[in-house]
Amino acid sequence: MIDTPKALREHLQTAIEIEWSTIPPYLCALWSLGDEHNREAAACIRDVVMEEMLHLTLAANVLNALGGDPRIDGSTVPRYPASLPHSDRSFTVSLQRFCPEALETFRCIERPALIGAPPQDDHYATIAQFYEAVMEAVDRIGADPGVWTGHESRQVAPNTQYYGGGGDAVVVRGRESALEALTLIVDEGEGFDGSVFDGDHEILGEAEELAHYFRFDELARGRRYVRGDTPSSGPSGPPIMVDYDAVLPMRPDPRVDDHPRGSELRAMAEECDATYARLLAGLQAAFTGAPGGLEASVRDMWALEYQAVALMHVPLGDDGETAGPPFTPPA
Amino acid sequence: MTVADYDVVVMGAGPAGALVAAELGAAGRSVLVLEAGPAAGRTWADYQANVDHYLAAAVKVPNSPYATSGDAPYPSVLDVVPLTPGGPPSDGGYFVQEGPLPFASDYLRSAGGTTMHWLGTCLRMLPADFEMGARYGVGGDWPLGYDELEPYYERAERELGVAAEVADQEYLGLRFRDGYVYPMHRIPPSYGDRRFAELLDGVPVHLDGADVPIVVSNTPQARNGVPNPAYDGGRGFEPVGAVGNPHSGLRCEGNSSCIPICPAQAKYNALKTLHRAQRGPVEVRTQAVVSRVVLSPDRRSVRALEYIPYDDGSPPGAPERVTAELFVLAGNAIENAKLLLMSGAANGSDQVGRNLMDHPFMMCWALMPESIGAFRGPSSTAGLEMLRDGPFRRRRAAFRAEIANWGWDFAAFAPYADVEEGVHARGLSGEALRSWLARRIPRQIRLGFLLEQLPLRSNRVTLDRRTDGLGLPRPHIAYDLDTYTRRGMAAARECATQVFSLLGASDATAYGPTDAGYVTLDGNGYTYHGSGHLVGTHRMGDDPATSVVDDRQRSWDHENLYVVGAGSSPTIATSNPTLTLTALALRAADGMLADLGEERP
Repeated sequence: MIDTPKALREHLQTAIEIEWSTIPPYLCALWSLGDEHNREAAACIRDVVMEEMLHLTLAANVLNALGGDPRIDGSTVPRYPASLPHSDRSFTVSLQRFCPEALETFRCIERPALIGAPPQDDHYATIAQFYEAVMEAVDRIGADPGVWTGHESRQVAPNTQYYGGGGDAVVVRGRESALEALTLIVDEGEGFDGSVFDGDHEILGEAEELAHYFRFDELARGRRYVRGDTPSSGPSGPPIMVDYDAVLPMRPDPRVDDHPRGSELRAMAEECDATYARLLAGLQAAFTGAPGGLEASVRDMWALEYQAVALMHVPLGDDGETAGPPFTPPA
Repeated sequence: MTVADYDVVVMGAGPAGALVAAELGAAGRSVLVLEAGPAAGRTWADYQANVDHYLAAAVKVPNSPYATSGDAPYPSVLDVVPLTPGGPPSDGGYFVQEGPLPFASDYLRSAGGTTMHWLGTCLRMLPADFEMGARYGVGGDWPLGYDELEPYYERAERELGVAAEVADQEYLGLRFRDGYVYPMHRIPPSYGDRRFAELLDGVPVHLDGADVPIVVSNTPQARNGVPNPAYDGGRGFEPVGAVGNPHSGLRCEGNSSCIPICPAQAKYNALKTLHRAQRGPVEVRTQAVVSRVVLSPDRRSVRALEYIPYDDGSPPGAPERVTAELFVLAGNAIENAKLLLMSGAANGSDQVGRNLMDHPFMMCWALMPESIGAFRGPSSTAGLEMLRDGPFRRRRAAFRAEIANWGWDFAAFAPYADVEEGVHARGLSGEALRSWLARRIPRQIRLGFLLEQLPLRSNRVTLDRRTDGLGLPRPHIAYDLDTYTRRGMAAARECATQVFSLLGASDATAYGPTDAGYVTLDGNGYTYHGSGHLVGTHRMGDDPATSVVDDRQRSWDHENLYVVGAGSSPTIATSNPTLTLTALALRAADGMLADLGEERP
């Protein structure tokens, strides 16, 4: 049970860490798909990554509203392979190319809570259970207006520098807006109440959106979900063509130390890590008083992609596997 | 009395046709859109197939991503060849060109129309542009003025999703409603734009005996940027993403291939409007070439459109007829004129097909002493707009200059020609070649001048006896640049010379008599290309004797026929035409709803 404002702030910091920890693994799978093949799969993962960035932003907004200090730096981002922060450690997340094993991990990450599963503020089995505990605490502790001490200038506002796929940032000023932000995270991510589709279509009047779990499930099963499908029925729509042979064969969990000192490859990996460090520093600044700084981070996001994809094209040995972005937590 | 198949039938699924369909559909009217070309990207997968086609194309001209068909052919800039005075017409492409100069523009027959490969420039016309006759005694006046079109410009800027700041656009009499802001903040100026502004802003160019201070002006563009929260009375604006993948394209990603295709769909294309249209009772039939406007026996109204369905590789189907209360032609200035001429319709004025205009596009290029970061970002994010109007318009064409972000691109085939020069002329290879290219290419700058043309009766589309795959006549074009425009080219060349000198750049511009678009004036030569701006062939006016459509773009001759698009513009002025044709299409749609008995919104 989260019983103090301080504990609540710590849990929102954990939320930030959880959201970030999903992004490098998704990016490795996405970038390994290349430019010209598997576009459907790429569009799916790209959408999920964009929504994870939104969730990260929303969690930071809630923490900022509570007068907290979001931290996203070398001390709070994972070194892969890793378990999800504060989870029950029932599975391990690796940096992998797009492959069935990666999709299985992604489904574990996004697995919806079983109906009736209790909220769990630590050692959670599903992220949904973790957020249930956080939302319950926001509802209870946040009823006291005195806890919302953060300055609004720290909020990342909708329709500004920030843009998310299929959702937008929520400015958090108190309990109601905090719950709105957290509901959006849970709704887009893991779904709820046993539904396959998330709530986006009601908000946007646009194409129907699947909760993340079911989007990865579609890719793993090679078939689309359509209206009327349920979690137990599985997808019954048109097939999705996935060409695993076209994927760049990145060796799992790349490290700088995979490459000899002084080698060109090591320099590339170190440059990629330097970009990663710069990107994290930009996000850190954006979430602690300079929301406009997100715009500057965009160029590091692109640079990271170029550098990571370049690594993914370099073979390491005779087995055909290639290098990849190490995503080393900055020192 | 028989019941019509639809309330409205529209020919053409480009920006004007899609928008008319969307507006009428939103009012509950049943609409059929007949599009000659293929669906071309109405799903995300189809669209990405176009991107692949572009990536694989050896020559990356504006139409390179898109499928071609002999049944609905369209022109390519690769068809443009020099013409010999008095010689045979050129007929290597879709157009048959008798000259004396080649009409150098292309277009696309496809769902989305030519917005599939446009740049996205969304400048409003100047108030003066509507009154060229009254103010300068040339070109003639529009039947409506800037103030009448202004509210429609606002709606067009919403539809196209225009990114700009009003403060950048208030020049030469352009006025905006109090408190108006564009839907999105301006696309950030490129590094090159900022260097140009630092070096040039406020410094005069001397032209026509006058000093005109230079202003490097951010270009309004239909390209998703950061929404302005103050838009629409504080309601803000939600950018429209890609068709079939709405999370893509919500911001310009700087892919540097706006022309011929934006891979993210951050740039507006009319597929977005077509997609919106289909929320209403709007049906779209692609690969359906309208072949005839069928008139009633008294010729006062249109009874039906006849169209030929085709499926590449199979013999075309028999013509089919479709009836409606209202008919809308939204091909483009050439396809609209061709169909009217083929049908003997709407031409009581003998103006159909005449007054064909384009913006002759004259490039000047130079090498800067320093890197200005060429080849990054959208093709152009700024321009020189201060010479779009002035007393000089009594004797010579006005122009604007786009400031290119892509180095010498097609002016000198950069960067391919640079590689060739490095290898062949300079004998470089390996590291030496790379570093030479890296020093040279980022220093390339180019201005692209869009010259005004006056409407001329003799610049004209007619029907050729040669036919396309469906047996329909190909467009026959007679085209020339008059002295008015050539004087404008001379002034533009002089402007470039002064600008390059102010920048300390070394001029590399080269025109030659073998260029397809080579023209001379007073012993000096200039080369133009096409801008893809097809204007004037069914001009609007307030006199049925001298115009084809009225100020709502309704045919004077047939009460239920609208002919929409830039073909209705009586003069071309200097702004890229899509924003204006979009505003005019919205105004026409209001007229159509009134004709159909709807309350005007």
